[in-house]
Amino acid sequence: MDAYSSVVYPAVLVVCGALLVLGIVTLVFVGAHRVLQWVVTAAYVVVAVQALWVVGLLLNGNPAGLVVTLGYLLATCALLPLLGIGRLGEPDAAAEDPDPMRPILAPDQIARVDGAAAIAVGIALAVASWRLTVVLGGGS
Amino acid sequence: MNPIARIVLIVVYSILGLAAAGRATAQIVESFAEAPLAYSLSAVSAALYVLIAIALWRGWETVALVGSSVELVGVLVVGTLGIVDADLWPDETVWTGFGSGYGWVPVLLPLAALYFLVKARQRGATTNL
Repeated sequence: MDAYSSVVYPAVLVVCGALLVLGIVTLVFVGAHRVLQWVVTAAYVVVAVQALWVVGLLLNGNPAGLVVTLGYLLATCALLPLLGIGRLGEPDAAAEDPDPMRPILAPDQIARVDGAAAIAVGIALAVASWRLTVVLGGGS
Repeated sequence: MNPIARIVLIVVYSILGLAAAGRATAQIVESFAEAPLAYSLSAVSAALYVLIAIALWRGWETVALVGSSVELVGVLVVGTLGIVDADLWPDETVWTGFGSGYGWVPVLLPLAALYFLVKARQRGATTNL
């Protein structure tokens, strides 16, 4: 649990902070979208590490409630696909959808959508990870 | 409807739907008998958030408009009742305290959604004239 509290959880929070900051920066300067994409990749990595670590803790006898812990864990994973959701507005993706209402976005609009999504997901991921850590007995 | 606003609303409604569904599931599975009304309301709010997210994605603007209106009324009624008679709610819901437990997003989100949906509808009406 010590390693989780001192390494994995802080790493998740750092990435969440980076998502938040770069999300805001991308809304203002579209050019930051490329850097945001690296941070999105980092978010997938830290959440994957967190998931494996939490499963390991549960298997090693952590007394946390299974339903609540797995619920928060699934929530952290379910948030990830929302990062980079702007890709759904790319002309190629929209062309494959028969829905005439499907929005088609310009590259700068895709960057701004990704920026806004990064802000929302960064906050939600930090809260879910904090609750997960509290449930596991590693925080207050 | 503005495509950026539309997708951002879908993202935020999805996140809120996820949070509300998780909360409702935990509340109903663990202690439904303690506060059946509050926990049922959590489940209803979760379903509403998911419905609005789907409606926004599929372009069902009337469904999104009605859903956002119901959501706003729900937040305002539950929030007000919580102040008027705190004993009415033995436990918190997503809408308790006007959504203060969720950074007031539950009260701000339907306002934002209604703004963009009504604006889009007005623009459509003007175009059809």
